[in-house]
Amino acid sequence: MTKQIIFAISLIITLGVFAYTINRLASYFRFTRPAFPVRNFGRRFGIMMEVAFGQTKIFRRPVIGFFHAMVFWGFCVILLGSVEMVIDGLAGTEKALKFLGPVHDFIMASGDIFALIVAVAIIIFLFRRLFLHISRFEGIEMKKRSHRDANISLSLILLLMLSLMSMNLGYMGYRETAGGQIDGIYPFAGMLLSVFPALSAETFNTIYEVSWWAHILTIFFFANYLPYSKHFHVFMSVPNVFLTRLEPLGKLDNMESITREVKLMMNPETAYAASPSDVPPQRFGVKDAEDATWKNYFDSLSCTECGRCTSVCPANITGKKLSPRKVMMDLRARMKEKGPLIVRSRSLSGGKEVNDNRSLLGDYISEEELWACTTCNACARECPININHPSLIVDMRRYLVLEEASAPGELKSVFNNIENNGAPWQYSAEDRMNWAKDMEVPVMSDLFARGEKPEYLFWVGCAGAFDDRYKKVVRAFAKILNHLKVSYAVLGREETCTGDPARRAGNEMLFQMQAMHVISTLKGYDVKKIITACPHCFNTFKNEYPDLDGNFEVTGYVQLLSRFIKEGKLDVSQLKGTKITFHDPCYLGRANEIYDEPRHVLNSLTNNFTEMDRNRSFALCCGAGGAQMFKEAEKGDKEIFIERTEDALKTGASVIATACPFCMTMLTDGLKYKNKEEEVKNLDIAELVVQGLGI
Amino acid sequence: MKILVCISNVPDTTTKIKIAEGNASIDTAGIQWVINPWDELSLTRALELRDDQSTGIKSVTVAHVGPAISEPTIRKALAIGADDAIRVNAESADAYFVAEQLAEAIKKEQFDIIMCGIESSDYNGSVVGGMVAEFLGIPSVSAASAINFEGGVPVITRDIDGGKEIINVPVPFVAIVQKGIAKEPRIAAMRGIMMARTKPIKTLEPVAIEPLTQIVSFEKPAPRSACKFVDAANPGQLIDLLRNEAKVI
Repeated sequence: MTKQIIFAISLIITLGVFAYTINRLASYFRFTRPAFPVRNFGRRFGIMMEVAFGQTKIFRRPVIGFFHAMVFWGFCVILLGSVEMVIDGLAGTEKALKFLGPVHDFIMASGDIFALIVAVAIIIFLFRRLFLHISRFEGIEMKKRSHRDANISLSLILLLMLSLMSMNLGYMGYRETAGGQIDGIYPFAGMLLSVFPALSAETFNTIYEVSWWAHILTIFFFANYLPYSKHFHVFMSVPNVFLTRLEPLGKLDNMESITREVKLMMNPETAYAASPSDVPPQRFGVKDAEDATWKNYFDSLSCTECGRCTSVCPANITGKKLSPRKVMMDLRARMKEKGPLIVRSRSLSGGKEVNDNRSLLGDYISEEELWACTTCNACARECPININHPSLIVDMRRYLVLEEASAPGELKSVFNNIENNGAPWQYSAEDRMNWAKDMEVPVMSDLFARGEKPEYLFWVGCAGAFDDRYKKVVRAFAKILNHLKVSYAVLGREETCTGDPARRAGNEMLFQMQAMHVISTLKGYDVKKIITACPHCFNTFKNEYPDLDGNFEVTGYVQLLSRFIKEGKLDVSQLKGTKITFHDPCYLGRANEIYDEPRHVLNSLTNNFTEMDRNRSFALCCGAGGAQMFKEAEKGDKEIFIERTEDALKTGASVIATACPFCMTMLTDGLKYKNKEEEVKNLDIAELVVQGLGI
Repeated sequence: MKILVCISNVPDTTTKIKIAEGNASIDTAGIQWVINPWDELSLTRALELRDDQSTGIKSVTVAHVGPAISEPTIRKALAIGADDAIRVNAESADAYFVAEQLAEAIKKEQFDIIMCGIESSDYNGSVVGGMVAEFLGIPSVSAASAINFEGGVPVITRDIDGGKEIINVPVPFVAIVQKGIAKEPRIAAMRGIMMARTKPIKTLEPVAIEPLTQIVSFEKPAPRSACKFVDAANPGQLIDLLRNEAKVI
């Protein structure tokens, strides 16, 4: 009875402290911003089973991922055993779940075996952390505390496993010596017992009792230590995966507050008719912890600082200040600092703004870090628990541009150019058809005037219209369309920037103005199907315009070429033997999961296709995304495009195939920098198909 | 102290200028109008000076001579951060006409620094600033590349051949500014765009004055002739072309 009382008291203390902690953290969620409504429970459950319980993303690094998966699965079965221990402790029973029969046997047996496996894995983890220099565990954000946290957590887990092993050993030893019935199966404890010195039943019982208490009390302590450490992810990761943002990685969320402003601007009569309750937000974008969404904060609490995001970040790899892991850690730290102040002020003065003269942006995260992001989404793709860093980074850029009118100078010019001449570069819209000189390219307005309607709108994009190198690519693609007699037309002078670079640079206002303009032009021509020549335009049309009522069937030119080849319409065969490698554009690959189509096209052109080490979802960004194309790179020790060009050159391919105008610029520059432009060619997939067709 | 920035409404630099029928005017159909780049930079500098508490500058006003269709450009200036605006409701006739209209508008209020871009990117006349100062009977400093405040007094830097000239001038004065006056044009923040909708634009009717000049006609430069490429392995052809076609050797 005394035992039960002591147990109940310790359980109450544990739950009490835990409830206090959780309540405090939960109170901070109250002043975060809305992110998305949590629907699609079926799909969420599927993702949770796959990514959390299936550990699929952790296996992106197979060796160490395997050990983590073992620890995770071990925890799951051992947790069931712990539930039984709690029941036993409260009810004064022993092995309360034994009525489950074979199921109980299975739980006990797997817990017993996993105790050993987890212990071994933890020893390996500890060894790595203490004796091997793992670069992923270093970085400006990794303070002494981070390392101490990790070592304490690992030690506690090791203690849990050792106590579990000795508990099972003591239990079996006692029962065997005293001649009682053994409930459950303990294969490892049995083995251990066979080599263990014969002890008295009393001694075995003492081992069992001491281990039992050690194990359960360590669990109680661990449960309350976790929320105060980076290891909170033990609790948070599974829910965080369940609450995954379900949109494609390439999609940035629409700012409704800006949509309202743009509509007011385009239709000024309604400006004064707006209802007074319709007030604009206190702040556009994210400056401080409370501007982040609940999901950002959830992400930050779930982060265990494993650093996989940072280790694949092109900016970080090339020595720039940005570290996606730091962004998450900073949000968590700032909320820990500011959260209590807001809670206090709300209870005292009913929601008055708190100002401690500090903020997330500025005191924790610098502008330099934010402007280094290429929005390549490698971090989000890599995160084992689906944390989304780029959305928070862009939200902070949004604050800088929309509230402070602050952006790197080159980007300000880009904004002005898009606003004034409809392209990121200073070119007149009247020159938009120069790429099609001496070619038959139908223009929408001409067809419309004749009362004709093409099946597809071919969206050329600003690079296709104005970049001398990419003009050749869109010419090649138009040649194929003409060759196949596809019914299509271009907008010509009526085309304008989709707004992608503006949005990714934080200028949501300009993006939405462009978007609404484009959508209304396309609707005017009753466009249903669009072919895009640029993955950035593709992503914008496909993922972002639907939020603004622009719903079109969008196909990227690479997907279309692949389909034509599959349908037998394109007989390509002339490049046999040419060694070709492919650079995955981020906005085709990670953003939209299009990996197979480009490879299908290239494999039909050559029997000598070769992959770079980092390919498909592991591909390294060329360095131009997220409006980086239009600005100088932030300070670092290497240019991203050189790093990527080196990847490509390592394959020994004579052709680097690309499928994006920005990637083409970057890799062509890389080849020049490496003095390889003679031996290695950077060609677009469309150009290779034209070569293959011999047209 | 108050600053007035004169802004001109010009076609965006990428515009392909078309001459209207009769050859005496520009076809304005489809033109995207923007703030004259020099004026945009002087507005940026004016706002920087206003935002710096130590200068004692309280407000920045923009002034423009033009019809109602130029209001979006004025609103843009307000969105970027100007406090209010004056528009003289008249089609610009020539520099003399514009300068006189501006001077009359300026006389109605008290401004300490009047900033004019050194030229406008459409007609490139480069005389309005000087004329405004003359009409007002106040000093002007041309080709100013920096305006700073030292101890509450404006100090102007001019780029001169081989160096810099630093000038003190009593207010009020006209600063005719060169590029370099601000690093890069300021962009409009969201609040600015929202506030620009309700900021005041004072409309003045023009004073009666005849322009001194009249445009007779416009002419476009002759299109560049095509470039001929000669194969490097064939110098004979080059000599032949230079001698017989270009007739330069």
